Amino acid sequence: MTLVNTLFNGLSLSSIILLTSLGLAITFGLMRVINMAHGEFLMIGAYMTYVVQELFSKFFPEQIQSAYYFAAIIVSFAVTFALGCIMEKFIVSRLYGREIDSLLATWGISLILQQAARSIFGTQGVNVNAPSFLQGGLNIGSCTFSYNRMFIIGITIFCMLIIWAVMYKMNFGRQMRAVMQNRPMAQCMGINSKKVDMITFALGSGLAGIAGCSVALLGSIDSTVGQSYIVNSFIAVVLGGVGSLTGTVLGSGIIGFASIIFEKYTSSSIAKAVVLLIIIVVLQFRPNGLFTIRSRSLDE
Amino acid sequence: MLKIEGMDSCYGESRVIPGLDMNIEKGKIVCLIGRNGVGKSTTLKSIMGLVKTPAGKILLDGEDIIKIPTYDRVKKGIGYVPQGRDIFPQMTVMENLELGLQPLGGKGRIPDYIYELFPILPKFAKRKGGDLSGGQQQQLAIARALVASPKILILDEPTEGIQPSVIQDIGRAIRKINRELGITVLIVEQYLEFVLGISDYIYLMKKGMIELKGNTSELQAEYVQQVMTE
Repeated sequence: MTLVNTLFNGLSLSSIILLTSLGLAITFGLMRVINMAHGEFLMIGAYMTYVVQELFSKFFPEQIQSAYYFAAIIVSFAVTFALGCIMEKFIVSRLYGREIDSLLATWGISLILQQAARSIFGTQGVNVNAPSFLQGGLNIGSCTFSYNRMFIIGITIFCMLIIWAVMYKMNFGRQMRAVMQNRPMAQCMGINSKKVDMITFALGSGLAGIAGCSVALLGSIDSTVGQSYIVNSFIAVVLGGVGSLTGTVLGSGIIGFASIIFEKYTSSSIAKAVVLLIIIVVLQFRPNGLFTIRSRSLDE
Repeated sequence: MLKIEGMDSCYGESRVIPGLDMNIEKGKIVCLIGRNGVGKSTTLKSIMGLVKTPAGKILLDGEDIIKIPTYDRVKKGIGYVPQGRDIFPQMTVMENLELGLQPLGGKGRIPDYIYELFPILPKFAKRKGGDLSGGQQQQLAIARALVASPKILILDEPTEGIQPSVIQDIGRAIRKINRELGITVLIVEQYLEFVLGISDYIYLMKKGMIELKGNTSELQAEYVQQVMTE
């Protein structure tokens, strides 16, 4: 494997970790809600991709089959956004400032969602076929860059730009940052903080849905697909610094590149152990992560 | 303008203000004074809806606002500058000011009178709010509360931790806000000299109740001082 290929794989893995972490960076990083069901939103996004694929194959002509994936991105986001709204309104909003309670409640929801997925789709994994334009790869010299991985990198960049635009260029982003920094004062500025909480949480959940749509391209989808990504996502957010989106980008990059590089010279399991060791060492010296932002949590 | 009738304020089960009555007349600068812990800041927080008020009325231009949420009270024309200023430290000065547009739906531009009142703010427009000095933060907090042209401006200890020369600037700005913009002002303050120099009417609070009230010109400063220190 050439150096270019190694770097591409590192970039690809980093972008997958980043994409799955972006939603968490909002719900956990900014809102300080430990949402154990975040991985299940990812799973729902992945299953929605499968459902849209099946609907397209039944009801739409052959020529536009590949377009199913774009519809799936929209459906995945919409469904997980709506579920995020419902979950915030009826469960999470009652548990702000009660971290252990919210952890247990969202863990319960995660189990319910996993069981629901098993009941609806069965225990066997289902597969999504990559649309025709994402099949194969680009060959340059001895290097191969697979289209679906390049596409995921593109989606990640697109999502980051959207988050940046929402947070720093839109009035809602200003409201969101105000509520996360100082809730009572934000209310005293005329901001409906409950509404902002609900939409922020839903936005984080919706991003998990888009991440699910992307990881559906990489392998089989089953009820535990979210679990395999969620641990790395939490680590990326904590390593980068809770509350900092820049930190999440850096945290994902470190985990992604370090995993690929160590995997090249050792084995997959040794690489995982080394990466975790690096994170432990980093957190010893910077316990608040690489980027620290003073942000009030919701109960303050 | 703002009338409080028989208002109770509670922290949990504990009633800290029993049956408060106050009347803030339109166009006046009214000061609420008293020693630490008598309930002055709680009164302001109650007006803003940040503290539970199980009984009484808060009438803003005749409309009872006691049951409506904080953000709607702001939209009805109350500007609030809390104790400690509470600017958003991670946001720039301009972003802090733009938050003042929220009662107008977050649209529009910062009115020119803001920069005339506080000429220092445009110079620091891109600086983080948390990087400003205490006096500059206080000016920013007042400016932010004024952006949407409230009917009444409520300030909680605006001189706290501010150096004397800046206190004078703040006093001048408050007078200008009142006289030129026609905004009614309610101030909670402990700095008696500042209060006597700026206010039209004074309420003196003791143990959650109004001990004394009257026009500033008619109240004896020595007596007020005595009550505040006893």
